[in-house]
Amino acid sequence: MAQQNKLDAGGMVYSEILSPSELFAARSRSHKIPIKGQKNFFPDDSDEQQKQLEQSLNEHCSLLSEERGKGCNGTLVKATWISSKQVVELQSLSGKFWQTMGFSAEGKRYLLPEEALYLMECGSLQVFYEDLALSIQDAYEIFLSSETVSLHQYQVFGHLKRLGYVVHRFDPSSLPSRYAQQLNLPQSGKNAGNQLKRKHDVSLTSTSAPSLSKTLVPTTDTMSADEHMKDESVDESVAMTSSESTADESSTTDSAVMVEPRKWWTSDIIEDKGSNHRNCSRSGWDFSSILFPDLGSKENLSGSLASPDPSLLPGALAVGVCDVASWRSKINQRKVKGSPEHRRRGVDNQRQGWHGKKDEEVQSCKNWTEFNDLMARHQHRRQDEQAEHLWNREVTPLHDPSQPLPTRELLDICSVIKPTCLLEGASRLKPAHEWRISFVVYQPDTASEFKKSKPRKPYTHVCVCGFDGPVPELQTVKLLTSQSGDVPVVFAVVDHGDVSFYTMKDFELPTDVFL
Amino acid sequence: MQAEFRAPRRRNRVQEDFEASLPVSHSSRKRAQLRAELINQHVLVCRPEDIQKIYSQGYFGKGILSKARPDHSISDQWEYHEGLLFPVISSSSYRELLQWARAFLSAQGWDNEAISQMMTNLSRPVQIEDVKKEVDGECPVVEGGVGPFTKRPRSEVNPKAKRSCSDPDSEHVVSGAGFVLVVFEEEVRELRRIPVPVTEYLQLSLEEAFFLVYGLGCLSVCLNQEPLSILQLWKTFRAQRPDFVCSYAAYHYFRCKGWVPKGGGGAKYGVDFMLYRKGPPFYHASYSVVVQPVNSEYKGTGTRPFTWRSLAALNRITTNVSKELLFCYVVFPANLSDAELESPQCLSRLKVQEVIVSRWISSRERAEQDDI
Repeated sequence: MAQQNKLDAGGMVYSEILSPSELFAARSRSHKIPIKGQKNFFPDDSDEQQKQLEQSLNEHCSLLSEERGKGCNGTLVKATWISSKQVVELQSLSGKFWQTMGFSAEGKRYLLPEEALYLMECGSLQVFYEDLALSIQDAYEIFLSSETVSLHQYQVFGHLKRLGYVVHRFDPSSLPSRYAQQLNLPQSGKNAGNQLKRKHDVSLTSTSAPSLSKTLVPTTDTMSADEHMKDESVDESVAMTSSESTADESSTTDSAVMVEPRKWWTSDIIEDKGSNHRNCSRSGWDFSSILFPDLGSKENLSGSLASPDPSLLPGALAVGVCDVASWRSKINQRKVKGSPEHRRRGVDNQRQGWHGKKDEEVQSCKNWTEFNDLMARHQHRRQDEQAEHLWNREVTPLHDPSQPLPTRELLDICSVIKPTCLLEGASRLKPAHEWRISFVVYQPDTASEFKKSKPRKPYTHVCVCGFDGPVPELQTVKLLTSQSGDVPVVFAVVDHGDVSFYTMKDFELPTDVFL
Repeated sequence: MQAEFRAPRRRNRVQEDFEASLPVSHSSRKRAQLRAELINQHVLVCRPEDIQKIYSQGYFGKGILSKARPDHSISDQWEYHEGLLFPVISSSSYRELLQWARAFLSAQGWDNEAISQMMTNLSRPVQIEDVKKEVDGECPVVEGGVGPFTKRPRSEVNPKAKRSCSDPDSEHVVSGAGFVLVVFEEEVRELRRIPVPVTEYLQLSLEEAFFLVYGLGCLSVCLNQEPLSILQLWKTFRAQRPDFVCSYAAYHYFRCKGWVPKGGGGAKYGVDFMLYRKGPPFYHASYSVVVQPVNSEYKGTGTRPFTWRSLAALNRITTNVSKELLFCYVVFPANLSDAELESPQCLSRLKVQEVIVSRWISSRERAEQDDI
């Protein structure tokens, strides 16, 4: 974009090649960027402020109207654009950039389109197409297309390169397999050379997705075949332990419901009062339906007793109606004062609504042992009355406060929710078209140390997205992390030329226990 | 690649002692039950001893009249008057309290004459002997404006007396039963009774309450004096909030790791809750947590969609307050039926994925940067 510095009234054709004096002037021009002064927030109509503003504006204008001298700082490399292969072929000797950019194939040196465009903007490369020099605008239009690199991706590429990083296109097949990673094998030089040759086949945009996914699928299969099996076994074992734990829980709740062990002589009564047949077959008599007259009770029974059932009497004994009224009047005359505890228990019982002898449970007790057991249960019931709603239902709390545990074990018991990692289940996911890793970035060293044929371990992988697009979901993050091996993935978000980088990393919060 | 764990930052001035990480005892075998009420869809703890236990051991809940710890007192200023310590309030506050008392009485249905009678009784000056009689008669225990953790003027009082107001060994006997010094005009202080006792309750969030009930088994929540079982409580909470399962799963997970998640981060930092190590008084919060449910394909349900703009804004806020943004994805398996969701036992089928979101600045000094 050579702008004319000196306008001629006659409309002269401007020459692109500077005269020696102009060249010298351009070279020795100060390369300092004007310093930003204090911010002026309010106009205060003073002369000094006016002068400062004018000065800054003039500096800006002169800076913008400077001619960019191409090749002022060194040799200008010539190259041609080969549209059939979508690469740029170098014609003259390459400069310092060859150490980190470009590749050789069939004896010739090539540059990828984004690298060529970047070098053009730096002013060290001039590309010709059909013997015409391309302008920067031409280059933007031709080099950046759906078959090569999109505008967003180029902007990220340029941003990182200007900061000094070494940026290459991402080749999924270049990742070492899981096994090789475990063995920590160094990458062999031969393979790297082949990969470089293949690089220009690898395009970064969505139209060539099928080819990319084809290369992607075999590697993920091999890499994650064992992972998949591990996932399955992990899932199975998790399923098993969870089913075990639920089985355990159900059995404990069962045992909680069954309050007392069954004894042979209480089982029939507690189970079912209606099943008389069994009882009859055992003893012939159903003691639950035979009422023994209770003459000492305080209730108002009639003064005469009916005659008992003849089936209960032996032989041919016949008993008539019995008059017990006089006898009844003689009993229960003295008010028995029980012990204080007895009295208290009576008061308690009344309060609780427990009617003593009338209670079915009490009536079903056959001897003192049972009665004592029943009393103990009632005691516990009163104590746990508040907690009955928690402990005697289907779902009980995970921890029982009556069994004290140290904090660490308590936390272990309560941890029913397990963490998962990003790689788990990632092999099941299908790769998406929009989200893929575009570039591999290497740490900037001194340029002499970087070897294209044997690059060191990558610093990060970059996935480019637009600011107006969606934020990656967990599915995408998992996919990219599994594709990326052990190299972190960075999302480069492009907002009209401004690039911000975000990472989403796997994390597991450590357990923290204080005694 | 895993994100590295950054050690939590300790606060500069720590004034509290650490009691215990959870309100369960390690020695006794009793099932001591703490009690809370479900009132108007809020869980409130009303009994002062329960409030103290629940807050001090695990930092559950928030006092309804305080910033965090329920230490509301009727006044910040305390003074001596004939040997006893009283809170001091201005005459305008006193008049406001009297008006509340009047409104309370009229709401109860008393007629105006009776109310005026009672008000004059209430607002007559109190002699110091009456106060002393009341104080000696009963333990100076909570009533009126004095709650379990009432603030005391720091310079005057022994720090131990701060924690419990019923401390017979302390030299400073506090008038517990609701007396206050009212400043009428120009330093004239008169002793009056507090017209309306202001008691403070502890409010628990739904997740905190459910954790205490289900995870630790030490709390019972009552609705209209009826204690609720775990299933009933789960159903009630799920009905109140549709995403309760997801947010509870995250809360349970972090509690079981020994960290203290505190809600209320939404209004301040735009996230679901903040994670503290050990408790808010000791360390600054280390993580701001955003909880998102995902299905078995790891795709979100779209209830809270993020754009890059909102994510960038949230990240900026989080960095400005020196915390880390943690996304907590709760993975629901595909075959989780609705019937299973009716019981909290479905929690064991869920999994949690934690992801730290941070911004990488490409232009920083590369020599300082070792890893992203």
